[in-house]
Amino acid sequence: MSADAGLEIPVERSKLGNGLTVLVHEDDSLPLVSLYLFFRAGSRNERPGITGISHLFEHMMFNGGAHSAGKFDEVIEGNGGSTNGYTTRDFTVYLESFPVAALERVLWLEADRMRALAITPENLEQERGIVKEERRLRLDDSPDGKVYEELYLGAFAASTYRWPVIGFMADINNISLADAQSYFQTYYAPNNATLVLAGAIDAERGFALAERYFGDIPSQTPPLPVVNAEPRQRGSKHIRYAMPAELPALAMAFHAVPATHPDRPALDVLQTVLGDGESSRLHRSVVREHELAAGVSVSFQWGIDSELFWIYSKLRPGRSAPALESLLLRELARLGETGPDEHELRKAKNILQADYIRSLKRVAGRANRLGFYETVHGDYRAMFREVDLWEAVTIADVTRVARTYLVDDTRTTIELVPIRSAR
Amino acid sequence: MSRHFICGALLSLMVTIGCQPVILHPPRDGAGAVDTGGAALGDLLGLPPLGATAAAFTLPPVVERRLDNGLTLLIVEEHTLPLVVFSLVMPGGSAFDPPGQGGVATITADLLRKGTRSRSAEELAREIEFLGGSLAAGAGADFSNVSGEFLSKDLSRGFELFANVALHPTFPEDELRRARELMLAAIIRSREDPAAIAGRCFGAFLYGDHPYGRPASGTEASLATLDRDAVQSFYQRHYVPDGAVLVVIGDATVEQLSSAAEGAFGGWSSRAGSPPLLPLPVRVSGRRMLVVDKPDATQAHIRIGNVGIARTDPDYVPAGVTTTILGGGFGSRLVEELRVKRSLTYGAWSGFNVHRMPGDFRAGTFTKVETTGEALGVALDVLTGFANGGATVEELARAKSLRTGQHPRQLETQGALAASIASLFAYGLPRSDIEAYPGRVMGVTLEDVRRIAATYVPTEDAAIVIVGPADTIAAQLAEFGPIELTTPDQCAQPGGPSAVR
Repeated sequence: MSADAGLEIPVERSKLGNGLTVLVHEDDSLPLVSLYLFFRAGSRNERPGITGISHLFEHMMFNGGAHSAGKFDEVIEGNGGSTNGYTTRDFTVYLESFPVAALERVLWLEADRMRALAITPENLEQERGIVKEERRLRLDDSPDGKVYEELYLGAFAASTYRWPVIGFMADINNISLADAQSYFQTYYAPNNATLVLAGAIDAERGFALAERYFGDIPSQTPPLPVVNAEPRQRGSKHIRYAMPAELPALAMAFHAVPATHPDRPALDVLQTVLGDGESSRLHRSVVREHELAAGVSVSFQWGIDSELFWIYSKLRPGRSAPALESLLLRELARLGETGPDEHELRKAKNILQADYIRSLKRVAGRANRLGFYETVHGDYRAMFREVDLWEAVTIADVTRVARTYLVDDTRTTIELVPIRSAR
Repeated sequence: MSRHFICGALLSLMVTIGCQPVILHPPRDGAGAVDTGGAALGDLLGLPPLGATAAAFTLPPVVERRLDNGLTLLIVEEHTLPLVVFSLVMPGGSAFDPPGQGGVATITADLLRKGTRSRSAEELAREIEFLGGSLAAGAGADFSNVSGEFLSKDLSRGFELFANVALHPTFPEDELRRARELMLAAIIRSREDPAAIAGRCFGAFLYGDHPYGRPASGTEASLATLDRDAVQSFYQRHYVPDGAVLVVIGDATVEQLSSAAEGAFGGWSSRAGSPPLLPLPVRVSGRRMLVVDKPDATQAHIRIGNVGIARTDPDYVPAGVTTTILGGGFGSRLVEELRVKRSLTYGAWSGFNVHRMPGDFRAGTFTKVETTGEALGVALDVLTGFANGGATVEELARAKSLRTGQHPRQLETQGALAASIASLFAYGLPRSDIEAYPGRVMGVTLEDVRRIAATYVPTEDAAIVIVGPADTIAAQLAEFGPIELTTPDQCAQPGGPSAVR
């Protein structure tokens, strides 16, 4: 499947003198270009007191650079492009997809805001208000969002992964103009970024244009490395979290590994065996056979630092969370004892391979993936090794990682207890 | 966490042309685009917009065959990735749920994968997932659909599974019970989501007893009484080949794709009359305002709208441009006034929700409880200003560029192309609409925008729904008119809002 089946896509890499990494993937099937600009700055780079600054800063970036203040969206959309950005624990991304004729304008706009952002009190206050509305929408008024926030806060004691990407409300209120300026200076430097150009553009031209627009932006002292001070958890934690909700829910997290760890592919397979599709272990057990839950999902994020492997399940009306919790634990223990069978293992690999192929459907999606691998794995080519890594996983590997990581000592459980507000 | 509010997430249950254009367009023309070439750095901003890149987009060849049983096959060879997709669309969706059987179209679609003449629900799930494939069925308001995707090496097995669920479901009693319980749990759970409540309650409030106002999931009351006879009968009436379309796109030859499709669906022989035309929805006259009480919410969600246009309306393309000016993309008026200037919200949008019969126009936003009245006031002012004054030259130019520039991306995947081709067929529209789209967008005039805004953007006649803590927001809303009050679990019940105050 992988490289043999032609699923490796053509990419060329270059590095400018100022340290900006440039990746170009040419695909001329549409007369469009997707630009993805990754900065190695996410909420893991923050500290208490200014949590959420990475994301707030992402918002501020759309007010444009020194020569394009207030014009960014107008120029992009006026030239037929779409634009967005997103922030994770590990990085921040700016993205545009546009007709190829607009390429130089978009590069100019991106370079202008990397060179000197228009950081003003008005800009900060405007985006602060908007981000607070975003937090209310995604977390404060959403039981799913709050459980997710509480799960990371409960599971991590010292890792900077513990706070939510959007930040705490008090910290969003606290971030100052000086904080924003210092953040920009430290992280928004060419040597801390990867520019991905994908679509109707060849590598030679891509590199030349990158040099032309970004080449004179000075590099900066690299940011201090993030220290992951997370101590080893020795004993399960259980948190009852009460908030207005219609149905109880249960989230259960285990400490896992970073994306580059050799056990990561086996954990991907384990995640698929447990939670991908109606024929997965957990769906069959908790939704179909025992009818305790309305649904169950299993997630394992790929991070620079050690991430969580977690299970989230919403109960059906009238069912009890403790019953669901013990059923889930029984299923995990069973997998750790006997492992998946051959058919389950093959199914999981087929699903992972097909998902990989689907991830290549859109040119913009490929740009996003290339930037992700370059940023998190340190090399975009890691992307092309994935299918082979999954293929090499054995029943014994899956059994071993289930036994190693899905253990009670590193477990954190959030039980969402619905309350009705008093009226 | 992303900076832009993705309006599609709020509108996931409907086809809209404000947030997520539904006419999608054919790419496949790599040549023809040129660069601005060497403008001095500082000059780039001063350049006029490039204008539409309305190059001659060509749809890949579509092979059309009509089978003896009345099914139309549309086949496209496409070799970018080793995948094959298919999309079967049949007239008759949730707007055709018989009285008292709300949810039957949805549950019928759910049950296709839950047991056939040759396989149990578990066997189907295992076989489909073993191939890394997907197979899904659903019901929109006017149509039911079955769609899927497999690796092209699994073409015949994928087709056999697809035909097996579409043509030979058995609707086992125990699976009906499970599906009903899960849908009930989903209805209860959806009351945790203010945006979902707003969408559901707005539909019921605007359309009243019209079928477009009924939730596709049904209600707790209707689900409780849904039995196997109801499901069988919906299936027999609406899952028929005559009038249906099957689009197949993928990495195989036309001969391979079409023989797989004919082999699987040629023997499909059931018959039924085509669904009757629905009545015309009735416009709301005067301003009607409904508050849906959610006492614990920290934000209020606002929807404002009235009856709009049908998918087949000649104004469909200009209406899409018009609503892009008002509430599409980042440079729209609603975003500028509510978000950029006042930081009242994270998202604001507008769109035409189109159906076979006229659907609706609606605008939406959300804000912290304390600024509910202010946000509603600003939104109404923006709508009124637009309805009365139309757009500027610059606004029209931005909307045209955005629509035409993003257009090829919307047909980029096999699945998107299949859905678009199937949708045009289902509405009786020509496939040439795809290639005509950029030219039509560029032909929209300020006068078109003025006329459409004046006709469909609500000012005095409007349905307004606000989800939030009634006790806190009622006083802020007093200046906008009388309030009707309901709750999330009552708003879509027959009889509508429970009290007026």
